[in-house]
Order: sequence, then structure tokens, then C-alpha cells
Amino acid sequence: MPRAYGTMTQGGGQPTDEELVAAVLGGDRERFGDLVDRYQGRLVNYLFRLLRNVDDAHDLAQEVLVKVYQVLDRYDPQYKFSTWLFRVAQNAAIDQIRRRRLKLVSLRQDDDEGEGRDWDLPSPERGPYGELRNRERADAIQQAIDSLPWEYRELILLRHQGDLPYEEIAQIKQMPLGTVKNKLFRGRQMLKEKLQDFLSD
Amino acid sequence: MTRPDHDTYREWLNLEVDGCLPAARHAELDRHLASCADCRTEREELLAFEGLLQKNRIPVRADFKDTVLSSLPVAGWENRHPKTWGFPAAVVLLFAGIAAALFGSSRLEGAGGGASALLALADMLGSTVQAGAGLLAATWKGLGLAFAEVIASPVSLGAVAILVISLNLLLLSLLRRRRAAPDGVVRGRR
Repeated sequence: MPRAYGTMTQGGGQPTDEELVAAVLGGDRERFGDLVDRYQGRLVNYLFRLLRNVDDAHDLAQEVLVKVYQVLDRYDPQYKFSTWLFRVAQNAAIDQIRRRRLKLVSLRQDDDEGEGRDWDLPSPERGPYGELRNRERADAIQQAIDSLPWEYRELILLRHQGDLPYEEIAQIKQMPLGTVKNKLFRGRQMLKEKLQDFLSD
Repeated sequence: MTRPDHDTYREWLNLEVDGCLPAARHAELDRHLASCADCRTEREELLAFEGLLQKNRIPVRADFKDTVLSSLPVAGWENRHPKTWGFPAAVVLLFAGIAAALFGSSRLEGAGGGASALLALADMLGSTVQAGAGLLAATWKGLGLAFAEVIASPVSLGAVAILVISLNLLLLSLLRRRRAAPDGVVRGRR
């Protein structure tokens, strides 16, 4: 069943992001926790796919949320909060990747990112074969994402890990909506071909 | 009306998976799917792909939210918030009220309560400025006397020089230690 956008889950009496931001700015600090609840999963997974490291993804997600809190009064409610949050996250991730590369160059390491696989995904399949299959699948997904050209990778991650709608991705990337859709469809097609062996799992 | 081509249906499939296909096109897509095995396969693969990415999300650490909330500093905008200024403003008003009650009645008896309070407040401020100026003058005078004492004797001059140099060295070592420490808004948990 096709799913709806993650950012459209605020019906049923739930306050919108913008209302939560207004409450925080009005002095209700605890409401920032609701925003953290709402975005932590998407933010950590988005950063994880960019940084390929669980610890780094968690640390940077924390840093991004703290940074956003510090300048919350500069948030412009004419844009979606998620657009702003993921733009900050993307810039922070790019900075971190650049720093990491500089560090690698200075250390003269051969490995692309200098880090091996350091994560374990939840295991829906039990038993030795299941574990092996999970690991293979997780590696294949990461490799497939890494093999995408950067312009496609960014869009795919914003859509599939950040759960952002096309319009917000277009705002973050400052691209026309049609370009975002085309690139997303093409990126998805590329990924689908690389992950063909796992689609029937 | 002409029927969309195959590529258009493929685009619609992507939109459908993303939950963005307009309702009016669902029926037309379903009719096409009923007669096109390739598009049915494409749809199944797109859904499987979406499920694959969802299934392979990493879980967020249980203490993530608490760590974020406990790391939040007092932001600049919080200092400018009316709540922050509420207490000091209340104290100022309280003092103004007390001043008006104590001093306001003797002068401007004919004036209203508000003018009387303002006058009393101005008196109080004037007295405070006078007291501050007197204290400053006394401090300068005291410093001058102390300085004269220090330069009068070579021993006391040497002692002060050693004290100043030691304080500078201490400050330098503290600055160097701070520069060596890793930066970052949030302390990492490894």
C-alpha cells in the first residue's frame, strides 16, 4: 500500500510543527521535546546514510537539533519546519564529510571514508542464514546508495529517509519541482536495479 | 481524449508510491495496470523497494531525546523573552512603589499619585548617582595612595611585578589548554 508523506501526520488534533515552535518561543521549552520526538528517527537515518556511521549520525543529529533550538527565533513560519531542519542537517553533514576527507588526506589513508561497517540493523530474520542475509542486505543498500551520483543521492535520502515531500525537497535543493521529480524517479530506478536481488525478500 | 503513454504511467506509479498521485488518476492507472503486466511488475518492485528501505532503518538510541533536551543551552532569544524580564521589571516596580510611598507624599502634594511616584524615583536615582560618584572618587584616591606606597619601596614594587607576571602566565596556560580541547556543541557519546 502506498504510504503518505511523513510530514502529513499532524492531523487528529496534533499540533503542527509551526504551533510547537510558537509554543517553544512563547516560553514552553518542553515542547521542543515533541519536535525531537517527531523528527529524531528521520534525522538520524538521513544522517546515517550520508555519514555511514551510527555514532556520528546520532551526534550530528543532536548537534543539529541544538543548533536549531539556539536560533529558533530566526525560523520563518512561511516555510515548513522540516524544510529548515533538513537544510541545516544537510549543511552540517556536508561540513562533516569535508572535514573527514581533509583528515583522511592528511592521514594518507587509502580507504574512501576510512571507516568500515560499524552498524547492525534490526534483524527481522533470525538464525544464522537470516543474520547473514540481513547483513548482506544492509551492505547492499548502503553500497547502492553510495554508488549514486551525489545529486541523486541527496534527493533519494531526503525523500526516503527524511520522508520529505517533493515540494520541500525542491525548496531545500532550490530546484524546480519537475527536476526534483525526474531526478528522484531516475535515482530510484538506479537503486532498484542495484537492489534487484533483495526486492523479493 | 488521448491515452497517456507508457512512460507517463511509470511516472504515475512513482507518484502513487509516494502518495502523490491525484485521486482522479487512480482509476485510470488501475485500468492500465489491469492490462499491462510490465507496469504491474514495476509497481510491485517500487513497493518492494520502498519497503526494503523502511525495513532497514536504524533504531534511534533510547536516550537520544533526553540527551538533546539536557544539552539545550539558554538561547539568546530566551534572554530576550518577556518571561525573563518579568521578574526584574516587577522588582523595579516594587521599588518604585516603595519609594513613592516613603518619599512621594512630602513633595508635589497637589500632584497625582503617578507624578509623585516618578518624582520620588528621580530623587532616588539622583541620590544613587551621587553616592556612586563619591565612591568612585574615593576609590581613585585610595588607588593613588596605594600606588604611591608601591613605587616608594623597591621590595613592594618587585613583589607586585612578580604577581602580575604570574597571573599572566596562568592566564596564558589556561588559554592554551582551552584551545587544545576539542570543540563542538554537544559532547559525543562513543
